[in-house]
Amino acid sequence: MDRNQQRPRSSILDSLGEELIGILTPVSICMFTVVLLVCLLNSDPSSSSFSSIATAAYSETDSDSPWDKLLGAFLNSLVFVAAITVATFLLVLLFYLRCVTFLKLYMGFSALVVLANLGGEISILLIDRFRFPIDSLTFSILLFNFSVVGVFAVFMSRFSILITQGYLVVIGVLVAYFFTMLPEWTTWVLLVALALYDLAAVLLPVGPLRLLVEMAISRDEDIPALVYEARPVIRDDSRLVQRRVWREQRSNVNDDDVENNVVRAEEEEEQRSEEISVPLIDSSSSSSSRPETFLEGIGLGASGAIKLGLGDFIFYSVLVGRAAMYDLMTVYACYLAIIAGLGVTLMLLSVYQKALPALPVSIMLGVVFYFLARLFLEVFVVQCSSNLVMF
Amino acid sequence: MHRSFEIIGKVMTVAAGIGYALLALGPSLSLFVSVISRKPFLILTLLSSTLVWLVSLIVLSGLWRPFLPLKANVWWPYTLLVLSSVCFQEALRFLFWKLYMRLEDVLDSFADRISRPRLFLTDKLQIALAGGLGHGVAHAVFFCLSLLTPAFAIIALAFVTIHTFSMVIAFEGYAKGNKVDQVIVPVIHLSAGMLTLVNFASEGCVIGVPLLYLVASLTLLHCGKMVWQRLIESRNQSGPTLR
Repeated sequence: MDRNQQRPRSSILDSLGEELIGILTPVSICMFTVVLLVCLLNSDPSSSSFSSIATAAYSETDSDSPWDKLLGAFLNSLVFVAAITVATFLLVLLFYLRCVTFLKLYMGFSALVVLANLGGEISILLIDRFRFPIDSLTFSILLFNFSVVGVFAVFMSRFSILITQGYLVVIGVLVAYFFTMLPEWTTWVLLVALALYDLAAVLLPVGPLRLLVEMAISRDEDIPALVYEARPVIRDDSRLVQRRVWREQRSNVNDDDVENNVVRAEEEEEQRSEEISVPLIDSSSSSSSRPETFLEGIGLGASGAIKLGLGDFIFYSVLVGRAAMYDLMTVYACYLAIIAGLGVTLMLLSVYQKALPALPVSIMLGVVFYFLARLFLEVFVVQCSSNLVMF
Repeated sequence: MHRSFEIIGKVMTVAAGIGYALLALGPSLSLFVSVISRKPFLILTLLSSTLVWLVSLIVLSGLWRPFLPLKANVWWPYTLLVLSSVCFQEALRFLFWKLYMRLEDVLDSFADRISRPRLFLTDKLQIALAGGLGHGVAHAVFFCLSLLTPAFAIIALAFVTIHTFSMVIAFEGYAKGNKVDQVIVPVIHLSAGMLTLVNFASEGCVIGVPLLYLVASLTLLHCGKMVWQRLIESRNQSGPTLR
């Protein structure tokens, strides 16, 4: 009789997979915004002379042969990856010498440059496109306010999490949009080169990013990096551009004291929410190791903050933006490929439980799907659609 | 700049484009917002389903690539095209269901481990709906996104409905071993595909499109009837004290 008055028990489907969605949503928003910007501001590619370090070795022109373009793109990527490697090693050196304040200041400065400079340029392009009536004084005041708030958001740790997340996505969008203005062959070869670099930098023992992560873990400090966090965490944070995924583990089998400090801060947060948190059960079974089920293996069962470096956001969006310059069909294919790659990476993260590169799988899948879509899908769909045949 | 607009050969305003896209995908969008976005797992199901069907379309295009482009105004190769594609997709639907059964077992054992109730009937139906919606969206985007015109949008709407709800019918049919449900889904898919071939004849779409909508409404009715029966069954089974 009493059971009538009991409220119906909620199904597990209500909150399973919430954190995956928490990281997929900002990635999708970033990609969607970049595609929107590319569609709105689709200028003639040859007219925009976008010179950066990525075109230092060779600037593509339409009249070159494919072999020349490929060689030139390869040289460009080599230069860019070399520059990135040098910069990352410099970062590792500074972190080793404990110049953390300098790094934080530098990151605040770079956020300011991106928001003010790149943001201002894109806003001007948009204003020009839509003939939006605004005077320069108002514009400069708005831009100034916007950039300063952005710098505080990524710089200070006790800012509203939503605004911080929003500003990180905006920074990702701005940088990604400018990267899409690179010449076509250079973009594709650069993406593949960066995926390989990421793989090497995170997994090789001599890789700079791996050194960085190990140093940070051994000192129990956070890496100064621009990192998107999918959940609010009550800790001191500092950020920088980084290119890997890692997750604060709800480790109940881990004997590492360092990890326990980190995990404890989150458990308070967790117990307030109603979602399924496996550790609520695990805390009773103490530290006995138990076999992980398949769902925890694929990251749907456990709960913990997933962090994704801002560089991943940027290069996913560059791939999708470049696909948007061809056709919306390729955008669709590349978007699904990247999401699938991200899902696979997160699965591997749950299995291996250490820092993993987030770029390689997604970029490789994205590139493969782009070329498949461009070569196969387009002909097929044109054939069917032009005769109104569908299935 | 966009190839799609080149092919149509006319300048299209943004408003018109959005209008046509919403025509095809409007009901799916409202379904998404009201049902699917509430539960994160359903969003993941939707994304995986869309991916699976996109891969199926890529495989089909890869298989047919050597034979394209087909001669214009000859309709029998298209029959082969539709037939082979429908067979392939129905086989894939069965495999998809097998995969879903495996996932259901995993979810049930997970629920047991954390002492939560197992998957309810409504949960399973919702997962099937998300899978079908993924199929519909994949179809609409594939056939309709590049060439946004009213004709495609209208036909795509019918197909989205068909795909969304036939997945629900198919999952229930396979689960219960109901032969009628199992057979009716490929039949619907095939007939819908064949009906679009009617568009080849001049003024054919005047007959073809209403018939297509007839098939879509039949799917809707059958699905609704089946779901209603199942819900009544399960309510009678579990007795009046629960839910």
